[in-house]
Amino acid sequence: MSDEEQQKLVEQAASAWRGRDPRDGRAMTHPAWLDLDADGRRQAFAVAETLRALEAAIDPEGLSTTGRAVLARIRREKP
Amino acid sequence: MLDLDEHLAAIAAGDPDAFGLWVAGAEPSLRAGLRSLAARVDGEAILQEALLRIWQVAPRCVPDGRPNALLRLGARVARNLALDELRRLRTLATDDVDQVLAEPAAPRAPDPLLRRAIEECRGGLPKQPAAALTARLEAAGGDPDERLAERLNMKLNTFLQNVSRARKLVAECLERHGVDWKWELL
Repeated sequence: MSDEEQQKLVEQAASAWRGRDPRDGRAMTHPAWLDLDADGRRQAFAVAETLRALEAAIDPEGLSTTGRAVLARIRREKP
Repeated sequence: MLDLDEHLAAIAAGDPDAFGLWVAGAEPSLRAGLRSLAARVDGEAILQEALLRIWQVAPRCVPDGRPNALLRLGARVARNLALDELRRLRTLATDDVDQVLAEPAAPRAPDPLLRRAIEECRGGLPKQPAAALTARLEAAGGDPDERLAERLNMKLNTFLQNVSRARKLVAECLERHGVDWKWELL
């Protein structure tokens, strides 16, 4: 895999978007993460840590996109 | 020490806003607890699932006199989900149980000066990286990058390069401002 291809997968895997398992609604592993080797996965984790911290630092409520994704789901499912 | 249990009663009563306040403080500690397994499980998926479970079990969390009882419970939830995933993948090793941190790092209060510095740096981003970063923020994890790229009339590769560039430019800008962002943020 080229460096460029690896970087593309790292950036995708570092996003907060996760698909939902149609059977039970659980957050599924990102397809890009599955295509990464161990070093790429560690890099994706580190990039996600930085991005989430940046997002939370500038969010008016201190929430990262992970926090916002989870809160949106809770509010949707709240009876 | 920041004690996120100040939100526990409202969370247990079913207040999502209170849970949002708790998540804002707890997420970095919970994420850091999964770092040792970063090459073997998708930490983001595990963390999102853990946060949902924590919301569900919060009414049963009993404070034990130490701060951050819900955070400690949450760290166990995240750890158990990660170990379950390794079991499901049939890759659980005997020392994995000890590798995953059971005791979370203490949460830190947000820094208003850091926030101002990041906003200034974000404001100085070139148009395309700024648009890509904003698209990610506004989507709030609700849409895949393919869809965000399409909305911005960018190819996926270009969109991802712009996200990457935005992140690096903000980091460089913070360093120019004398902000040790790795220490401040992570």
